[in-house]
Amino acid sequence: MSSSLKYVGNPQAQAVDALDKVMGRARYVGDMTLSGMLHVKLLTSRVPHARIMKLDVSPALAVPGVVAAITSADFAENGAFGWPIKDAFVLAHEKVRYVGDPIAAVAAETEAAATAGVRAILLELEELPVVSDPAHALDEDAPLVPLVPPKDEGNLCESLIVRNGDPDPILAACETVLDETYHFQHQEHAYLEMEGALAIPAPDGSVTIFANDQSPHINRGNAAGILGLAEENVRVIQPPVGGSFGGKDDVLYQFTAVTARLALITHRPVRLLLTREESLQTSYKREAMSLHLQIGMDGNGRLRAGKANLLADSGAYASMTPLSSWRASMHALGTYRYEAATVDTQAVYTNNGYSGAFRGFGNTQSAAASEIAIDELAHLAGIDPIEFRLKNMLRTGDTAFTGNVIAHESGLEKCLLWVREQSDWADKRAQYAAQDDGELARGIGVACYFHGTGLGGEGLDYARATLEINRDHTITLQSGLTDYGQGSRTVFTLVAAETLGVSPERIFMLRPDTQTALETGPTVASRASIVGGNAVRVAAEKISHLLHLAAADLLACAAERLLWQDEQFIGPSESPVSLDAVIDHAFEMGLQLSVQGYWQIPEIHWDFETGSGTPYFTYSFGAQVADVTVNRQAGAVRVNKIWAAHDAGQIIYPNGAKGQLLGGIAQGLGYALTEGFSYKNGYPEKKNLNQYKLPTALDVPEIETTFVKTTFPNGPFGAKNLAEPVMIATTPAIANAVFQAVGVRCRQFPISAAWLREQLLG
Amino acid sequence: MNVSFTVNGRPTAVDVPPKMVLLDILRDVLGLTGAKPGCEIGSCGACTVIVDGEAQNSCTFPASRLEGTAVLTIEGLAAPDGTPNDLQQAFVEHGAVQCGYCIPGIIMAGEALLGHNPTPNRTEIREALAGNLCRCTGYVQIVDAIEATARQRAGVEEAV
Ligand code: FES
Ligand code: FES
Repeated sequence: MSSSLKYVGNPQAQAVDALDKVMGRARYVGDMTLSGMLHVKLLTSRVPHARIMKLDVSPALAVPGVVAAITSADFAENGAFGWPIKDAFVLAHEKVRYVGDPIAAVAAETEAAATAGVRAILLELEELPVVSDPAHALDEDAPLVPLVPPKDEGNLCESLIVRNGDPDPILAACETVLDETYHFQHQEHAYLEMEGALAIPAPDGSVTIFANDQSPHINRGNAAGILGLAEENVRVIQPPVGGSFGGKDDVLYQFTAVTARLALITHRPVRLLLTREESLQTSYKREAMSLHLQIGMDGNGRLRAGKANLLADSGAYASMTPLSSWRASMHALGTYRYEAATVDTQAVYTNNGYSGAFRGFGNTQSAAASEIAIDELAHLAGIDPIEFRLKNMLRTGDTAFTGNVIAHESGLEKCLLWVREQSDWADKRAQYAAQDDGELARGIGVACYFHGTGLGGEGLDYARATLEINRDHTITLQSGLTDYGQGSRTVFTLVAAETLGVSPERIFMLRPDTQTALETGPTVASRASIVGGNAVRVAAEKISHLLHLAAADLLACAAERLLWQDEQFIGPSESPVSLDAVIDHAFEMGLQLSVQGYWQIPEIHWDFETGSGTPYFTYSFGAQVADVTVNRQAGAVRVNKIWAAHDAGQIIYPNGAKGQLLGGIAQGLGYALTEGFSYKNGYPEKKNLNQYKLPTALDVPEIETTFVKTTFPNGPFGAKNLAEPVMIATTPAIANAVFQAVGVRCRQFPISAAWLREQLLG
Repeated sequence: MNVSFTVNGRPTAVDVPPKMVLLDILRDVLGLTGAKPGCEIGSCGACTVIVDGEAQNSCTFPASRLEGTAVLTIEGLAAPDGTPNDLQQAFVEHGAVQCGYCIPGIIMAGEALLGHNPTPNRTEIREALAGNLCRCTGYVQIVDAIEATARQRAGVEEAV
């Protein structure tokens, strides 16, 4: 919006909870101990697929120190849960379906006793054949993974389509058709804090759970159902969360229910904390995916038609894979103009762990595949990759391959131009093209993206917030949308401060607590800023109205005649009264200074049957350039520098936005080069962080960033979203840079040094 | 075994099994939960504390090596009145904190570095942080915060 903003967009704005964290006094769930607290250990499956023939926890109860042990039989409906497909169990029922699948839980006085209890459990399994290759999951003779096939078609978990014209005749007429398949392994979230839940029973039969989950209200609803309690008897409080990135939902729903049940049985506080090894096995991952793309262009390098076939590995359970596969489908051919396009997507069950939400939510794979494909096409056309993108990209008013119009201003061109200029693209490109075949080869590559905002066709997209002014003149803000490190508490505080015209120091934002915060949908899809931010704005406007009422009464004038300046009201008499005085007066008047704000993204419609409609209300855009060095002998890729531009409308909390961008790029870099969570016949190949390699401070290069300003009338102060999309250009930009450096096309990820070395040495 | 050492300047004695690691002693015996578990095999640095001036992964530091040492944890950096030290403050100002779980360990690694090398360049800072994983920030703002603190400390010392 304008430069008249005081708190929103202020580069000095600081995270509201950073001080507690740097002092080491932020209390994560693992930092909380209560007297009399029991420790939980889980019995998990060591095999990828088996029928449970016998499960008897009574020997565990005989182990000294063990107080309780539970199985699926201790829950309503055997603890069945899961949305949109209810195919999972809090503790395995009838079958185990992946290595790490929780089967039983033991609560004991000490961790050691709980571990001994787990060892004592009597478990007999009958191993079943395993399906580990998603390409064979739908074979006639493939072992069936779910108990009940949700689509009546064996291991088919979800199928989705996009239909926009008929690409076949156009492809047949195209000068060039690229026809390639891109493969991506699972990715582990590797939030630094492992999963944890602490359940505290109350004498009235209710239970309070501190859980490091992402969506406490959904967790509560789920837990209440399978515990057989009324929702008001389950209270979920979210302590500080040590990272999530989409990864702390379903798995936390399981642990919330498990600890709650054990607390209710034992009448004692009960805590479950996973170790890193347990977390890597049991928690869900980004789905592995292969994307088969056919894209045609004419002789002038103009894209004409595209077809995409996606296959997602949902693993043992559906979790969010049906929805992330949908998002993958909506972005599969990238941010370009086509005359016609179709997408056919299948998500299938296997015995490879299980897949769920992870930052980028399907577009991580789609953007990577399509941006490498576009680079291949630019190469075939003999056109500079950035030129090629500028020529074919979606601009405001264009129609996306899904058939809908890009209605709001697109910042894509500005982003591409910025990264081109800042990276010295033309010079470097020419210089690297001219280098000889030495041991070290440099390359520079580009990628860009669009990313649909909010839930889109995935569901009703709304949020609620509450604001209350207290007797001591402070302001309390609350939202059910959670802050797991991405800075939404700070964003909401700044939006409230700006709307009210009061300093952020006056506002305290509570952590989510299902007892006091209003239900507000899931904290996913980078939707907190726009949807949650608007709900906060609406609430702040309402409370500002009440304050004007009180001030008008105090100053005996019409509310319209009041001027609000520097936290003072000035009436016609021109002698200002302070906000504090007005608040006091409001209380004297009996005005309740407590309001709720609600906001919903304008409704859009996607028809799943016909594969057409409007998938998203709006999009954010961005572009990145990566400069790499490839060591031909070692096959190792070093990223020297990254330039990143993202269009997020008005930035609310600049330091935080920049941090999101930088952190997203680091995750994208890991996805490109080292982070493959692979399975062999259903057995995970990585056990701890010494094997699953995250980028370190030596791997992540210096990064130059910018936020391109565009107007978006529906955002709070014009803000769009950014947490998710910022990671998705990094992987393809690196792959495209590797191609320039050594002429090897990477279509399998991660790009391991061993693989690249093999390609280079032949 | 009985071990005596100091924690944040305070003399401390504990009676623990020789194999018990410093991370568990700090968290479970002494109630200092600033250092975090992230892998418990020395691969993430979330548990970093300073022992006799050196950054150490407390998850692999056994009680048997603790006798007579001086241990400094994140809880020991603030002034007695609770004011954060300059490095802690710089982390807040540079937006170097997101989820915060890695931060106590990273700040201790940063303090250990500045103890040895008061004027590190960005590469040296990155090298000193190589054992500390952060999944949220991409490290850039963390390097900024340490670099700014080093400059500021050097400037202050010159002025004295
Ligand atoms: S917990 Fe000590 S290095 Fe990871
Ligand atoms: S701030 Fe989250 S791991 Fe570093």
